[in-house]
Amino acid sequence: MSLKQFLQRLLLALPTLFGVSLVVFFLMRVVPGDPIAMMTPPGATEADVAQLRALYGLDKPIITQYVIWLGALFQGDLGTSISLRQDVFSLILERMPATLELAFLSTMIAIALCLILSLAGAYFRDRIIPRAVDAIASTAQAVPDFLWGLIFILLLGVAWPLFPISGRINPRLDHDLVSQFYLFESLIKLDFSLALELLRHLLLPAIALALPMTGIVTRLLKVSLEETWKQDYITMARARGFSRWYILRKEALRNALIPTVTLGGVQLTFLLGGTVLIEKLFSYPGIGNMAIGAVIQRDLPLIQGLILTFAVMFIVINLLIDLSYSWLNPRMRHG
Amino acid sequence: MNILNLISRSMGALLVLICISLPTQAADDDTLTIAYNVNLPSWDPTVGLSAVNPTIQSIYKSVFDQYIDQNPDLSFKPGLLTDWSWSDDKTSISMTLRENAFWHDGTPVTVEDVMWSLERAGNPDTGNPIQFIWGKVGEMTADGNTITAQMAGYDPSLFPWMAFLTGYILPKNYFEKVGAEGFEKAPMGSGPYMLDAFERDGFVRLKRFDQYWGDAPAFETVIFKFVTDASSRVAEIESGSSDITIEVPYEQFDRLAAVDGINGVSTPVSDIGMIFLNDIEVMEDANVRKAAAHAINKPVIVDRLLRGYGVPIDTLQAPEYMAYDDSIKVAYDPELASELLAKSGYSKDNPAKFKIQTTRGFKPKDYEMVQAIVGMWRKIGIEAEIEVYEIAKHYELRASDTLAPAAFYNWGNSIGDPSTSTGFAMFGPSPHSTWDTEDVDGMIGPLWGEADEAKRIDGYKKVDAYIAENAYVIPLLQYVQPILHREGISVTPHVANFVLPQLVTKQ
Amino acid sequence: MADATAHYPSPWRDAGLVTGSLIVISFFAIAILAHWISPHDPLEQDLISNLLPPFWVDQHDPAFLLGTDSLGRDLLSRVIHGARIALTVAVLAAGFAAVLGTVMGLIAGFYGGWIDSFISRLVDIWMSFPAVLLSIVLVAVLGTGLHSVVIAIGIIDWTRFCRVIRAETKVQREQDYVAAGRALGLTGPAIILKEILPNLLPVLMTLFCLEMGIAVVVEAILSFVGLSLSSDAPTWGGLIEEGRQYVHEAWWVMLIPMLCILTLVIALNACGEGIRRVYDPVMHK
Repeated sequence: MSLKQFLQRLLLALPTLFGVSLVVFFLMRVVPGDPIAMMTPPGATEADVAQLRALYGLDKPIITQYVIWLGALFQGDLGTSISLRQDVFSLILERMPATLELAFLSTMIAIALCLILSLAGAYFRDRIIPRAVDAIASTAQAVPDFLWGLIFILLLGVAWPLFPISGRINPRLDHDLVSQFYLFESLIKLDFSLALELLRHLLLPAIALALPMTGIVTRLLKVSLEETWKQDYITMARARGFSRWYILRKEALRNALIPTVTLGGVQLTFLLGGTVLIEKLFSYPGIGNMAIGAVIQRDLPLIQGLILTFAVMFIVINLLIDLSYSWLNPRMRHG
Repeated sequence: MNILNLISRSMGALLVLICISLPTQAADDDTLTIAYNVNLPSWDPTVGLSAVNPTIQSIYKSVFDQYIDQNPDLSFKPGLLTDWSWSDDKTSISMTLRENAFWHDGTPVTVEDVMWSLERAGNPDTGNPIQFIWGKVGEMTADGNTITAQMAGYDPSLFPWMAFLTGYILPKNYFEKVGAEGFEKAPMGSGPYMLDAFERDGFVRLKRFDQYWGDAPAFETVIFKFVTDASSRVAEIESGSSDITIEVPYEQFDRLAAVDGINGVSTPVSDIGMIFLNDIEVMEDANVRKAAAHAINKPVIVDRLLRGYGVPIDTLQAPEYMAYDDSIKVAYDPELASELLAKSGYSKDNPAKFKIQTTRGFKPKDYEMVQAIVGMWRKIGIEAEIEVYEIAKHYELRASDTLAPAAFYNWGNSIGDPSTSTGFAMFGPSPHSTWDTEDVDGMIGPLWGEADEAKRIDGYKKVDAYIAENAYVIPLLQYVQPILHREGISVTPHVANFVLPQLVTKQ
Repeated sequence: MADATAHYPSPWRDAGLVTGSLIVISFFAIAILAHWISPHDPLEQDLISNLLPPFWVDQHDPAFLLGTDSLGRDLLSRVIHGARIALTVAVLAAGFAAVLGTVMGLIAGFYGGWIDSFISRLVDIWMSFPAVLLSIVLVAVLGTGLHSVVIAIGIIDWTRFCRVIRAETKVQREQDYVAAGRALGLTGPAIILKEILPNLLPVLMTLFCLEMGIAVVVEAILSFVGLSLSSDAPTWGGLIEEGRQYVHEAWWVMLIPMLCILTLVIALNACGEGIRRVYDPVMHK
């Protein structure tokens, strides 16, 4: 993909972003009920309410509100959270790394599991292993992530307490991490005991998130591998005496990867969306957990900011998937 | 494909590593970990929504000091103030600040701090939700450690409020230096613990403050871990990750309290479950109201649904409150209820219909209780439709007096004063009331400024009896706070529903 | 269409499709007959006999096969009536999403041009929202209740239909029979309804089955965060959430509705994929 193509893709994302902002804004304004009245504590007077209303700009016409909101948005100003009384942008920025680390680890686990399962399913020709792979994949896909989370908490948190089931880090630990990317920073600093401690907290929610994606992608990848297996050039490779394992890994996998990445990209956005419930379940301090709190508190600026953040992440993922095609497919790269 | 190989292998290695490094939880004798049921949204205990959230006061009370404090049985005791009183003519108050109190940076707490905190609380611009009380404090003068303040009028609830929501003293100089934003980042108080680390939605870690004026707390380090999911809290205590947890389902409480290594304490707290009635629709019919009240079998709800963890009540006063009167009773009598309904022409075939609103999961078994009540009503000829709402929505509807004919709510009143229960809940002009009729308003009105304490309490008892007779509200029960803790520590429960680390001791 | 069917293999020979549809049909039968086959009224409470154990435990009451919940309601009856709610939500929500998505997809695919770009852009925008969070926000905004759940799922998931239908319509539009229809003077809407839509039915049915499965899960998620149907409606998601509190004493209260959801969702997926296998010509090349 040339630079020009890349810029075109980038430009195409802009109207989407604009549309997203429009939807987010108006969705929050058509809510029945009065957001400010919901925020006011018992004992507030009419004057307090009016003051709050003016503070959040809710006393102006709706179009004006949107323009003001959008203008502020461009300056990175998402408003002030009503329940947390802090700048929404910095709140999200502070919490986003936790979610990104969880999503990253979860994706890595999903990729690893997909590869192991689908390669095993395509490699072995007996009746048991491919069927077992199908069964595992179907179950992994059919059980929604929050049910996986519940099962893990019960099994590995309570019945056989191997893992911590809440939080991100043991609160007793003193650490001198400067960034919010605890895991990455501890790895860079080669502080492996801290990294391990972080990973123990991350593992259960990450696997719970990874499983549905693993199921769906494994099924596709396995079918694609089997399909490629029947292609002419593979038959030729087999004729030339390459081992089954070698062909699967070197040839079939590469070919099967493009449809897999397309599906994987969509699934990745689902995975990110899934952090909302999983973080709540595991009391993990990321933006998903924050989002549920914001909905319960009817904290409009925070909900808006969070939905927008998720949307931007989704758009970026889609952009990256687009870009990865040319990387995966050399013909596209050269052509 | 090398990248994919790398990912697979590193994930495999990772799993092995994590499994080898299994349980590393070392029991640390000097650290107390509390699995807490709500997040701490904000640090300033005097402004905003969180200031009036009773549940997070435990954290505030560990870091900050109140003007006046409360014993676990709700009786008042000195906080930063050692003496407080109204003048004989009830036009001014006098308060004495203790001399041995220090802020966490080592500077002494001064009368300047107290006067500044009161002024700030009374200033409508700062957003103190209880400004309607603090605003009554007028001009203040200091003489040594004693402050005299002119008052806009007599209000017997002023000093109780000093031990209640937003009644905290903050450091004037420090706050002015760092500003509100800075204070959020690095809060400072004069309480038994000082902030050590705070991870939003994660945990708060506190360190013992050595210059604290009161008894030194038993634990060097205290961690409030925010675990908002009840099942996860149960797992926290069961797996030994936390030493104390609260607000677990009663079934789990019973089960875990019997487990070796875990103990349970439960105490009735100053929180009552009640059904607000609104003077609209069928509720204007006294027969329907009374029938609704008589049809509810409170003891069986407490026994079967709350597994005995609750105390049935018939007025808005719990037994620990000042104006509790055990002679006021509303009996469970389904026959009487049916007869009352029949008088107004309602029966099972032609039921009285209305909507009941409730929270769900805000308090233990709130929703289940309302379901049970609706089931009991169905049997006598009341068809109630349940609507679930968030607690924020309840406040909105109550403030605008647009609640449904019936609405379930939990009324907290940790100072036990009748003015902050029956007074606020039933007095028409109060923004918290739902039932607004002149007969009740006429009875409560004169009690607000009643200077004779005995007469005031007696007055409220009369109001409560009148309200019970007319079924203007349906009080249900007083809640019991379930606390689970590991063996080896002892927890003193607080009737105000607090879990204070300073009240936890080693055995 | 009748001619075309002849080329498809017989649906009866597809094991997945047959098993899947049998399970789904039996769930529907249970849902429709719920009123007659459930031993008790699912709302009938008896606090005195609450938390009775199920039939495999010694002190059970034969009148309550699966025991009772905390309010003394019959669990079996609640699970049976739960099927009714799950399928109602599934059919209505999937139907709403299908109608919305199909109409948009047909218009975009058939007419192309600016309206296509507009709808495609709309889909892009919609796909940029986290579905779970958006449904939670929507139900919080609309208030709880059957209609809110159905609307929330429909409003979020129409894009699944729209994307596929649009692509398929584009393919169909180029086919001979559409050109023939044009030559005969049929108008756009007539061609869409009479010529294109029937050919998309297999795809639509596949999507519909999958969407029903999704709707069942979303309803469970919403119940789980306490934002689904109000009142004491016996939803499976609500039962799971309720059972979570008693999981140590009565694990079956949580497990039974969980198994119901899983069975139904897997069966619906099997149906959807079975239909695709049998009727989708591409797979059989």
